[in-house]
Amino acid sequence: MKMRKALAAGAAVVALGSLVLAGCSGTSGGGGEGEGGETTLTMWHNSTTGDGKQYWEDAAAAFNEANPEVTVKVTSIQNEDMDGKLQTAVNSGDMPDIFMARGGGKLADIVAAGKVKDLTDLIDDDVKTALGEAPFSAFTVDGKIYGVPSAVLPGGIFYSKDLFEQAGIASEPTTVAELEDAVDKLKTAGIAPIALGAKDAWPAAHWYYFFAVRACGQDVIENLATSPDFTDKCWLDAADNLNEFAETEPFNEGFLTTTAQQGANSSAGLVANHKAAMELMGAWDVGVIAGLTPDEQPLPDLGWFPFPEVDGGDGEAGAMMGGVDGYSCSTDSPASCEEFLNFVSSKEWQEGYATAFQTIPANQDATGAVTDPSLKPLMEAYSKAPYVSLWLDTALGQNVGNALNTGVVEMLAGQGDPQKLVDSIANAAARG
Amino acid sequence: MTDTLKTSVAIQAIGPRGRRRSPSGVRWGSPGVYLVALILITVCITPILYIIIGGFRTNSQITTDPSGWPAPWEIGNYTDVLGSSEFWTAMVNSTIAAVGTTLGAVILGVMASYVIARYEFGGKAIMYSFFAAGLMFPITVAITPLYLLIRNLGLVNSLGGIILPQIAFALPTTIIILVPFLRAIPKELEEAASIDGASRLGFFWRMVIPLSLPGVITVGILAFIGSWNGYMLPLFILNDASLFTLPLGVQNFSSQYSVDTARVLAYTSLSMLPALIFFSMFERRIVGGLTGAVKG
Amino acid sequence: MTESQALMSSTAPARSNRVGTDGASVPTRAPRRPDWRKRGEIALLAGPALLIFVGFVIFPVMMAAFYGFFKWNGYGWPTEFVGLDNYALMLQDDTFRAAVGHNFTIVVLSLLMQGPIAILFALLLNQKIRGRSVIRVLIFAPYVIAEVVVGTGWSLMLQDAGALNSLLEKVGLGALQNSWIADPAIAMWSLMIIITWKYIGFAVILMLAGMQSIPEELYEAAAIDGAGFWKSQWSITLPLLGPTIRIWAFLSIIGSLQLFDLVNIIWGQYIAATAGTSTMATYMYQNGHLAGSYGYGNAVAVMLFLISLVVALVYQRFVLRRDTEGALTGDSRKGRRR
Repeated sequence: MKMRKALAAGAAVVALGSLVLAGCSGTSGGGGEGEGGETTLTMWHNSTTGDGKQYWEDAAAAFNEANPEVTVKVTSIQNEDMDGKLQTAVNSGDMPDIFMARGGGKLADIVAAGKVKDLTDLIDDDVKTALGEAPFSAFTVDGKIYGVPSAVLPGGIFYSKDLFEQAGIASEPTTVAELEDAVDKLKTAGIAPIALGAKDAWPAAHWYYFFAVRACGQDVIENLATSPDFTDKCWLDAADNLNEFAETEPFNEGFLTTTAQQGANSSAGLVANHKAAMELMGAWDVGVIAGLTPDEQPLPDLGWFPFPEVDGGDGEAGAMMGGVDGYSCSTDSPASCEEFLNFVSSKEWQEGYATAFQTIPANQDATGAVTDPSLKPLMEAYSKAPYVSLWLDTALGQNVGNALNTGVVEMLAGQGDPQKLVDSIANAAARG
Repeated sequence: MTDTLKTSVAIQAIGPRGRRRSPSGVRWGSPGVYLVALILITVCITPILYIIIGGFRTNSQITTDPSGWPAPWEIGNYTDVLGSSEFWTAMVNSTIAAVGTTLGAVILGVMASYVIARYEFGGKAIMYSFFAAGLMFPITVAITPLYLLIRNLGLVNSLGGIILPQIAFALPTTIIILVPFLRAIPKELEEAASIDGASRLGFFWRMVIPLSLPGVITVGILAFIGSWNGYMLPLFILNDASLFTLPLGVQNFSSQYSVDTARVLAYTSLSMLPALIFFSMFERRIVGGLTGAVKG
Repeated sequence: MTESQALMSSTAPARSNRVGTDGASVPTRAPRRPDWRKRGEIALLAGPALLIFVGFVIFPVMMAAFYGFFKWNGYGWPTEFVGLDNYALMLQDDTFRAAVGHNFTIVVLSLLMQGPIAILFALLLNQKIRGRSVIRVLIFAPYVIAEVVVGTGWSLMLQDAGALNSLLEKVGLGALQNSWIADPAIAMWSLMIIITWKYIGFAVILMLAGMQSIPEELYEAAAIDGAGFWKSQWSITLPLLGPTIRIWAFLSIIGSLQLFDLVNIIWGQYIAATAGTSTMATYMYQNGHLAGSYGYGNAVAVMLFLISLVVALVYQRFVLRRDTEGALTGDSRKGRRR
């Protein structure tokens, strides 16, 4: 019927037209050059509340004072939504000039799309010296640096000293055997030994990744972002070790439905309210726990010890794993982007960062501002560590990282075994 | 029999309250009915009450005693939310977006439904199925190409960029409900109108629109609720905090690493209120509206 | 009457029916002059809706289908063409097949659980009693609330350390405590209860609306014949409620296939699979968006669309046909059993 054909034709034309329109996506980046040389920098970060948000607003204002022709427009985006929004923005040419990045495979993907500015030569030398080499490694892709770190977040076991005392544990465990011992004592005392936010998968996966750091040699771990090698036996060993440990039932009841940090019933909440004795987390946990205690102040008896050593692994003693928060510039951003980043990497602003976020600044000169007692042993262990790896799921990139996270949860839920976990890596690689 | 039914539906459509109830008057029902209703209501309302009351507690309270009463009653969460300018800004934005979506979906939907319901042309079945197929696609995946389109139209970071797609996504449900309803308007009326010299468009303008008001209100409410609760689209399109809608505003209480559960509960309780009020204002019309639709 | 009929039929195309003098339908063969005025009206009225719909719904769907043929990490333009590989991988993946199974379980259970309860309650609430409005508002309330909010609230209640278990403990029924969300044996039932809770109000209102159009005279006639309340409901209401039930079932089926928000919020991204409540949509989100494999994710979305489409077409053909035949040809006489 003519009408039907007309309709179909009309629809096709509109669709085609839209496709063409979409194809011609303009390349206007975030920054604009207004009249009189005025520039606006758009910046995306993920501190949606409190001191963190205030910090960035202050930094933007101060930078504007020092450089009157540049305005920094700060937008805060909820952490969970950041990736999706950034990806859409990257694809449409609407990228923010400065955006939060955590390095590893995820950043490498955006770099591969040619959307991140190479900062190797644009970072001030004194910034490079002050931060040291280690944090930059997270942002290095193919030998070039693509971001400036703002905080280092190494991981380890946070614990409640009061609960340990209650259970009669004399000293911090240094080996897995001692940890299992401590778990037993806590169980006898009726305290949930380890809080685990397995609902979000990554806290459970972190147990696996730490076991992997203990079992695998340094070279295997450090090459993950660029040339991953999964044939090494150490991956299976790590999975076996985790499985063995999990069979002693050290985690809180219902760990599969406990979130990591989402408010009241999260694993952090359990520790904050003395319902569990330990949790394996990164340096941000101090601030998170502080928000969930009855008086919303930092937990006074919070302590920290490094992940215990495991016998027979190829990993060096004292090696750590951690995350690095930092910021990158988009390819089209104006020069004021790296100027801003250099600006906030100064000792003064890093000290402010440490206070606002209750975390460890990347600038080693600013670490004096860290006052929390549980962060002190953390910083010590970090500076003494022979090498610090990035969180393995960040290093491996979203695809494989996500698959591993899922696999660990399955194993802990009793629906998978170590071999299946290692196999899932190959499956994921096929899909992405 | 058929004609009586059709006319009675039409009459129901016209009458503001439906004539069925008034003759015998409203009376008290038997206790059994109220008991059943009570059970149903309890089941429906309890989780909602949990959310509302949860807003009166602190995070610590919720962790230590998940099922307890607030002890003490913490009104700080509610007052903070009510006092924050972000909440009211978001409320205004949500209202603008919802009203825009509703008007657009209703107007375009009525026009298109009228065509499908009362015109004779070959592509009719295809058009109907075309719109119905729109129900079947999850928006989470459509978001990237959709964003590209909105950007090219220059509507990013504006409420218009939310309203237009929402209208589009509301059209399938709108048309599926309105088509049978518009069909229920008896042909006799149309014939009578054409005897009087009115064209099809005139008939549409002067008779169909008033007659289909209950149906229109139904789809209007559904579109309003859909827009009010929409999260994905505003999340991607809006960058400016001053344009955020209510669902996005929850971010203000979820920080980088943690979520202020109690405050989120207070916030969401307050944001459900307008949608509930809107619904209860028009509730009677909905039943009238769907009457035509389900006749099929 | 005949005059106006002639008026109407001269502009009607082939498929319209004209009522002959004996009241029976007589198909006409109207002359095929293109009616530009009518086409203009159609374009004017339906045009804007079509335009917006194609632009904002159809276009993204087509782009998604396009992306589905690539392996793509989401950044830049997709370059790695893999043809139907994504689809092949998907169909071989146990997790996906499990998700499809869950979806269909949800479809069936939704129909079985909500349907009878909704009809029952509608029957009881159809009586003209005082307070009817208030009751209806309260029952419909769960539907009005955003799924995200629903998910958060139920999550807090059903968590292992949540309100339900805590309450059971307090009233001494601690033995009944369970892992409502994570235990594969129970999780699906928890999900069904939450879904029923959310949508029962909508079903009840729909059934109530359907009942409004049943004439009182039928009930009065039955009462005169001595039929009791339940008997008359059985023989009068249920059969005449047929079209309503069928349309509700259609909306329910499509909604069940698309289920995402509730599962994602309550079960999170990872334990939905272990708990046995993953759906095609959560699978898509997890293996597409979260894994950064956007090509694969888009392929799953297209598959979800195709499955929904097939189900809808089958349903239309075999179940709704009787009801919508009249709807599409413009003559309700054909569509109704009288």
